[in-house]
Amino acid sequence: MSSANNSKGVPYILKLVIGLVLMFGGMYLSVQKPEFMSFQESLEKSGIPLDLGKTVAIIGVFLILTPLLDLFFFKPLQESITNRTTELEGTFTEAENLRSEMTRMKTEYEDRLARTEAEAREQIQSQIKEAQDLKKQLMADAQAKADQLRKEAEVEIANQKKQALTELRVHVATLSLQATEKILQANVDTDRNRKLIDDFLTTVEAKN
Amino acid sequence: MGDLLHLGTTLLAEGGAEHGAAHHGANFVGLMVYLVAIIGVVVYLLADAKKGLNNRYFTRWTTQRLEQLYLFVENMAVGIIGAHGRKYIPMVMTLWLLIFFGNLTALFFATSPTADLSFNLGLALIAVFYVQWEGMRANGVGGHFKHFAGPKLSGALMILTPMIFIIELVSEMMKNLSLSLRLYGNIDGGHKAAEAMNELGKSAYVPFGAFLMPLKLMTCVVQALIFTLLFCVYLSLVTHADHGDAHGEAHAH
Repeated sequence: MSSANNSKGVPYILKLVIGLVLMFGGMYLSVQKPEFMSFQESLEKSGIPLDLGKTVAIIGVFLILTPLLDLFFFKPLQESITNRTTELEGTFTEAENLRSEMTRMKTEYEDRLARTEAEAREQIQSQIKEAQDLKKQLMADAQAKADQLRKEAEVEIANQKKQALTELRVHVATLSLQATEKILQANVDTDRNRKLIDDFLTTVEAKN
Repeated sequence: MGDLLHLGTTLLAEGGAEHGAAHHGANFVGLMVYLVAIIGVVVYLLADAKKGLNNRYFTRWTTQRLEQLYLFVENMAVGIIGAHGRKYIPMVMTLWLLIFFGNLTALFFATSPTADLSFNLGLALIAVFYVQWEGMRANGVGGHFKHFAGPKLSGALMILTPMIFIIELVSEMMKNLSLSLRLYGNIDGGHKAAEAMNELGKSAYVPFGAFLMPLKLMTCVVQALIFTLLFCVYLSLVTHADHGDAHGEAHAH
């Protein structure tokens, strides 16, 4: 800011020249004490110690010194302070941006987490349902197989029973005939006797 | 070498001026020696502080102190003059440093630049004429001098306008005197008071004047502050209208 103002104002070289002229002019006035400065003596007698030569020289020194100090220190200091402020503002802005980014990422992560959890839950439910269906199907299959085996066993049992009864009947008939033959010691028509025994046995079965 | 010795004896002679005689401070060469020494110290401090400048934070002691001073002056300039007061900081800082170190010299040496009315008048003339220059830049030459005529009056009251103009002109000229005499009176008065108190304890070999050191140290700071503060106020009075700062309205004529 100050550089801009300096550039608009009196150039430094001109200030330097004017300053040097004033310095040497002031020195001349102070050392030589020309006639027109004699009023200073009367002022000094009145208790006012004034040396306008020094005053003029000081103005010259100040004209040289101010821009010099500005260029040498004040401007670099101002630039450093401005840069620091800019950097701090930049850092704060960056931190703010990072914070916003972090918040956004956190929200995104939470959303993703919630979505993943929901998906996992859904998958688990689906697997459970599938397992339950499979269990039901397996149980139904096992039940059907068991029923079929039982039916087959029943049929087998019935067949076996029937066969056993038939064999038993034949055996009993044979035994009865042999017994009867031995008891009667007679030659009896075997076919006719067998028919009688069969009838007897049928009668017995019917009773049973 | 002989010249230097002559200079040294001259300085001592000036410092130990007889009581009753007007205190004239150092002669031209003596004043310049003091001034060169002060400027040397200031430049040394600034150069040391400059080494610690960076774009992060300043760790060097001198840089930190000068930054604080700079920010203090900036706050003062912006607070009194307004936002455009920043452009006057180099001027205010230079005045502050010269006056403060000039005042500090008065604590350790027989005389000091700010105990010299001519030196102070030089600073006051710079301040007042710079204010007029800035006033003319801000309001134009006509506008600036119109300022001195006070508010626009009508009828019989118009006769007051030239009177106000003259009074304002005299008032502007008197600012030179008030600025220079205040500083001169305080610093030279401090010397006189210390000398008088030393005289009291002379028989007992007790430098009573040394007890005034804290007060004189405070005066060093306060006088530098007052001079630069008034400079800012004068600048504010002549430049506030141009920039329309709300702050400056309170300081209208």
